[in-house]
Amino acid sequence: MLLALDTSAGSSVAVIDGDLVLSELSTEDTMRHAEVIGELIAGALGEAGVDGSRIRTVVSGMGPGPFTGLRVGIAAARAFAWGVGAELLPATSHDAVAFGEWEAGFHGPLLVVTDARRRELYWSSYDVAESGIARTDGPALCKPDEVPYPDFERVDATQVSAGALGRHAWAERQRGVVEEFGEPLYLRAPDVTVPGARKRVS
Amino acid sequence: MAVDLRPAVLADLDAIMAIEEASFPTDAWSRESMRAELGSVHGVYLVAVDGETVVGYGGLSSPAGADDADIQTIALVERARGAGLGRRLMRALLGHARERGARQVFLEVRADNPVAKGLYDALGFEEIAVRPRYYQPDGVDALVMRLELPQTPAEPVVLGIETSCDETGVGIVRGTTLLANVIASSMDEHARYGGVVPEVAARAHLEALTPTLDAALAEAGIALDEVDAIAVTSGPGLSGALMVGVGAAKALAVGSGKPLYAVNHLVGHVGADVLADEPIEFPTIALLVSGGHTSLLVVRDLVDDVELLGETIDDAAGEAFDKVARILGLPYPGGPQIDKAAVGGDPTAIRFPRGLLHPKDAEKHRYDFSFSGLKTAVARWVERAEDAGEAVPVADVAASFREAVVDVLLTKAFRACADLGIPRLLLGGGVVANARVREEAAARAASQGVTLRIPPLSLCTDNGAMIAALGAQLIAAGRAPSGLVFGADSTLPVTEIQVDRLPSHR
Repeated sequence: MLLALDTSAGSSVAVIDGDLVLSELSTEDTMRHAEVIGELIAGALGEAGVDGSRIRTVVSGMGPGPFTGLRVGIAAARAFAWGVGAELLPATSHDAVAFGEWEAGFHGPLLVVTDARRRELYWSSYDVAESGIARTDGPALCKPDEVPYPDFERVDATQVSAGALGRHAWAERQRGVVEEFGEPLYLRAPDVTVPGARKRVS
Repeated sequence: MAVDLRPAVLADLDAIMAIEEASFPTDAWSRESMRAELGSVHGVYLVAVDGETVVGYGGLSSPAGADDADIQTIALVERARGAGLGRRLMRALLGHARERGARQVFLEVRADNPVAKGLYDALGFEEIAVRPRYYQPDGVDALVMRLELPQTPAEPVVLGIETSCDETGVGIVRGTTLLANVIASSMDEHARYGGVVPEVAARAHLEALTPTLDAALAEAGIALDEVDAIAVTSGPGLSGALMVGVGAAKALAVGSGKPLYAVNHLVGHVGADVLADEPIEFPTIALLVSGGHTSLLVVRDLVDDVELLGETIDDAAGEAFDKVARILGLPYPGGPQIDKAAVGGDPTAIRFPRGLLHPKDAEKHRYDFSFSGLKTAVARWVERAEDAGEAVPVADVAASFREAVVDVLLTKAFRACADLGIPRLLLGGGVVANARVREEAAARAASQGVTLRIPPLSLCTDNGAMIAALGAQLIAAGRAPSGLVFGADSTLPVTEIQVDRLPSHR
């Protein structure tokens, strides 16, 4: 049994058994990740009729996403996995969107775009074939008028489905593919400047 | 009015009877009955005293080994009403009932007394029966009410998570016993910026989270299964940093099926002191001083009654240390650097201004602090010396600055002790690490007859053990856990000791 969480856009939580999504609860609210995450997890477990101790794998959406909200889901995923002794499986959030397009029957070059706030966008490009998706470039950050691959089919996603994220990550894991992450895909340095010379007060 | 509660003694009988007769003119107990009650071993009588004067009393019957306890009586003099004293008395009596092993508490209240009924409702009592015309000669009905006391472990094991600033803290307590206190600090990462960078702190929390949880369990030598509840800081603090702890604590609580207590960081600093060997006494004044806070509180009851007397209106004291260190060319964090630089310096060499200590501030800002003007005064003084081509006497400047900060902090804290008639002062927060603060506080406490409490330094700086300790106190007081809808509240007021509390009975 697998629990998947993603807060790279809104908040989404799913309980998955193999390839079957037992429950999925989501909100597109991008301002209240910390407030909603607990009830989404409890609700998804409840709807699936699953006790936390039965979760053996936790899939964690690592972004790209605006950092404050993104971190809530990752913190929750890590703490949940720690608490129940489950394996932690980090995954790139954009993969869930591409996976959804593949499932819906799309084939060809695909560009997944999500909001990065501050008038910027996150993007990742994929080759979507009969057999599945393969990321070809990104994830990266850009200005709205500098989005690459203009001839690709472009999907602007406002939500990342934890159900799709979890199923894709699990399928990859079954093939022996597990993505390595250092830190989450913030793709931005913290806002900070090293102080210069002290200003006079007199 | 500074009112204390204490067990009643026979010498209180006259004062109690005076209140009894004034409060229940038609059906007061006889002096003999009251005397017998006060001497009984089957219960507890408490009096509320304002100085020497008894202003209220309450009694509980709770025979040893019995499941049922009864609130026998409770009354206050007119002038003591409406200030939450009845509630305090009731809570104290319920605490005694719990300690004596009672599972439920009964009481009777006159049907024509909505104020008392409202208090009992708020405490969780439920109306279970009516005794018609019970109170004679008035012929007024008695409402019988019952409270089921939650059966909680006497010494719950609580794991506390603290991420409000730059320390990722995980602590574990069993009741008032410290089992683990592990802190991962991102302070070094902030040093080059001269202060805590919120986003850098939040990123560090996420990476430190599970290693710190692991280390805390290892230090406590227990498994997560043995933990009864999770506690977490909801605020005040840096939003993005707080959210890491909030998200983690919620997921941990849901995953492991444990109750969750979302608590106030500043009250947690006071809560740290329950881990000391000597039990803390309330009410107490508490002065909390760190890089993010400078707050003066009166704590009458750790889980129920905390009031903010004053706080800084600009910089926190710790921030002033950091900024003055920078003016003197010293590294971050400033507190220990200023302390080191001040060695051998003359604290009276320069008379730096004492913010908000002027007589004109004695009303409106009586307990507030301001350190912005002091910082600017130090900068001016240093610039003048440099402009004149003089060598800056760093030791004297550091010692004089530190003296100004210490003077303001302690003058206001001891003023609160005197004003409120509370001879107890608790210090908390990272600035308490400053040797001069502790030394001067001890000297003033001795000369003013104030009992001073300073938790060990590892419990003064931000830590998870204090959050766990406060959570354990809430559980011991029978508080229902928090729900799952609370968030990170960067400005959470100290009056909100626990947030998002679920209704206590279903």
